[in-house]
Amino acid sequence: MSNAAAIAAKGAVTQPAARAGANAGAPVRIAVKDLNFYYGQFHGLKNINLNFHDRQVTALIGPSGCGKSTLLRTFNRIYSLYPEQRAEGQILLDGENILDPKIDLNELRSRVGMVFQKPTPFPMSIYDNVAFGMRLYEKLPKSELDARVESALRKAALWDEVKDKLRQSGMGLSGGQQQRLCIARTVAQRPEVILFDEPTSALDPISTGRIEELIEQLRDEFTIAIVTHNMQQAARISQFTAFMYLGELIEFGQTNRIFMNPEKRQTQDYITGRFG
Amino acid sequence: MDAANTLAAPPAGTVPPAKRPSRVRASRRTADRSLRIACTLATLLGAIVLGSILMMLIVEGVKGLSPTLLTQPTPGPGSEGGGIANAILGSLVMTVIGILIATPIGVMAGTYLAEYGRASKLADVIRFLNDILLSAPSILIGLFVYTLMVRPMGTYSGWAGAVALAIIATPVIVRTTEDMMRLVPGTLREAGAALGAPPSVVIRSVTWRAASAGIVTGIILALARIAGETAPLLFTALNNNSWFNANLMGGVANLPVMIYQFALSPYPNWQQLAWAGALLITVTILALSVIARVVIKPQRAR
Amino acid sequence: MTTLTDQIALADTRSVARRQGPSRGGDAVFRGAAYASALLVLLVLAGILGSILYGGWPAFREFGFGFLTSSAWNIGTEQYGALVAVIGTLASALLALVIGVPISLGIAIYLTQLCPGWARKPVGMTIELLAAVPSIIYGMWGLFIFAPLFARFVQVPVSNLVEGMPVVGTLFYARVPSGVGILTAGIILAIMIVPFVASIARDMLDQIPTILRESAYGIGCTTWEVVRHVLIPQASVSIIGAIMLGLGRALGETMAVTFVIGNANRLSASIFDPGSTIASRIANEFNEADGMQLNALMALGCILFLITFIVLIIARLLTRRAKVA
Repeated sequence: MSNAAAIAAKGAVTQPAARAGANAGAPVRIAVKDLNFYYGQFHGLKNINLNFHDRQVTALIGPSGCGKSTLLRTFNRIYSLYPEQRAEGQILLDGENILDPKIDLNELRSRVGMVFQKPTPFPMSIYDNVAFGMRLYEKLPKSELDARVESALRKAALWDEVKDKLRQSGMGLSGGQQQRLCIARTVAQRPEVILFDEPTSALDPISTGRIEELIEQLRDEFTIAIVTHNMQQAARISQFTAFMYLGELIEFGQTNRIFMNPEKRQTQDYITGRFG
Repeated sequence: MDAANTLAAPPAGTVPPAKRPSRVRASRRTADRSLRIACTLATLLGAIVLGSILMMLIVEGVKGLSPTLLTQPTPGPGSEGGGIANAILGSLVMTVIGILIATPIGVMAGTYLAEYGRASKLADVIRFLNDILLSAPSILIGLFVYTLMVRPMGTYSGWAGAVALAIIATPVIVRTTEDMMRLVPGTLREAGAALGAPPSVVIRSVTWRAASAGIVTGIILALARIAGETAPLLFTALNNNSWFNANLMGGVANLPVMIYQFALSPYPNWQQLAWAGALLITVTILALSVIARVVIKPQRAR
Repeated sequence: MTTLTDQIALADTRSVARRQGPSRGGDAVFRGAAYASALLVLLVLAGILGSILYGGWPAFREFGFGFLTSSAWNIGTEQYGALVAVIGTLASALLALVIGVPISLGIAIYLTQLCPGWARKPVGMTIELLAAVPSIIYGMWGLFIFAPLFARFVQVPVSNLVEGMPVVGTLFYARVPSGVGILTAGIILAIMIVPFVASIARDMLDQIPTILRESAYGIGCTTWEVVRHVLIPQASVSIIGAIMLGLGRALGETMAVTFVIGNANRLSASIFDPGSTIASRIANEFNEADGMQLNALMALGCILFLITFIVLIIARLLTRRAKVA
């Protein structure tokens, strides 16, 4: 039985190929070289080598605990908040090694945005939430700040819902709206890369659909990496997919190929739902 | 909870005991009933004491209310009339200065414990000692400030009183600040850091904001705690039967010490003033405590 | 308009090369301030110990170990001993525990097990407000309301009853039934520690998993049996911690005790007789004292420091361990 047939039979993937074709010729934005990661004594990532292409969506998939979130969290070094976590090897962002201790973490994080699993609106108004990152790095006149906030909210497809209540608390929005607010907050800072850590796992199907559309649109401007548990989602929105298992990168390639014709046994087992 | 009560109620009551003897032995039921009665009585006793204290203050305190109460300073021994205006103002000034000293120190120390120190040895030690300071006898704090300030300065002062009150208020604020900041989910801090905000900015504009209701509650509770403190003021601010100096040097009149001295005095007008002061201070403190509990509510609901 | 701003945004996205981060200095200053504030807590505690040791040292040097065992307190002959105050402190605090702990546990059990849902908030609030009443108000209540009633309805009849009997005839005999004394102080202290012990015990009982309680009720236990065999053993360590915390408060309480203990420097076998505690003696005499009397009062402060801090350390260790478990 062919893989495609197996997937179709299980109904695991409704749309086997990603909507937009992958562009393998796109320049490499992030290059991961011999990356190892440790939680104290635990070896969380083992010798990862991987490239992320400019303005493409790369999905990281794999069973729980496989290290996909860990990998994502190295790209903005958010793990540095926890002293017992450390990474070895190289991660080149536009040719610059971001694991270099001399790198300015705050500046790095303003270039590499992140959206989390659960919505994380700050306890302040919708407007202040979106303007938060901009105010840190740019001294903007009020009019331009307004324009940037509006533009970010439009890009996050939230503007029409909140334009009349920008001064109200961001905590009052629904879960899906909160997540789009967080995306707007990230987009407003004009990062080069956006990391999504299971951005829809806490949301209902309708909100999930909207976020997926949004990621699709953001691809025009940003290089995107997304961790997801949901294989259909990976197939729907990504151009490249990396399958990870027990801290190792098992297989990486164009999403079409990974889902239609995986090379490794483990990948095939996972995407056909035999484990995970 | 209610389900537990119905479960515990002897099912025997629904069945005619003559036909089927209850499986709950009489001794068990007696023990159970005694416990219920004893516990209810204990709670009732608490309520009665509070009620009786309030009754006493209202009955005696209202008699002491007079037009001059809020306008005149405390009278000298044997002189008629007078008010407690100087004591009220003195208490207000010292309490406010005390809170103004304690709040920044307490909030910053709590922030250190919750954000920077976390699991470090030093943070553990400080947390432990802060908990001890929280219930240390206040009279010892009075002795400390006496040695620290009154002796070297050669005079009692409102400043010494304010510092003593600040030392009592600080551990309360440290504790609530740390507890409330720990309730803020870690993902919120990560989200702040992920936008490129340095730790101090994340703490000030995200964590503090998220914990603000709880921190404010802690400050109000500390305020309620120090507003009625007497022992540490005895050796620091003492008391004074006239308006105090604007520079707060020398004895500064304050409600708690005034109440202490006047209540045990032989002069009827002094005793009256003591009761009026006691009513005023208790109502203020109980109101602060109730406000603190109302403020904390939305925090818990979240 | 919007399309225009969008275009600007799009055009800019690529051009942002290096960003100007917020200043690093502010971060270090903030961290330093937090660190310094935390250290200040250490410093204050060290300061308290240091200052009273410094003040009390001359008295310890003068009287040596005899300071602890002497019951003298004579300002004229400059002879000072701590015994009466130490015994008064311990006796009143222990009486407070004996009276206060059962009441506290009763309230905690009532609030967690028996109280109907609607009454839980107001009743809980009433008990918590007892903790907010200033200690001087307890003193006034004790002296003006409680002591007369206590003298009339307890001291006089009990004294009459036990007069001449062995042991109880001394323990419960009031030479002057004025209502004030060690036992009165103990009762007032008991009322003052009740809200603290009750609220901690209540939190501990609330933390016990419901499933444990339900399974006990499920096999037909009465409330008493659930409390006795399931809840109290589960929470015992932390409840002992709470009791120690209450003891710490009772030992150092000043104003309320000063009102009702009678302030006599006399050793008496009767708990109806007046006495004094360390805190009440300091409160009474400190402002008029100088020379050796001042040093002796400071030395009393040292002893109080030692006793309460040992008790508080034990209390904190017990409540801490309970939290981890």
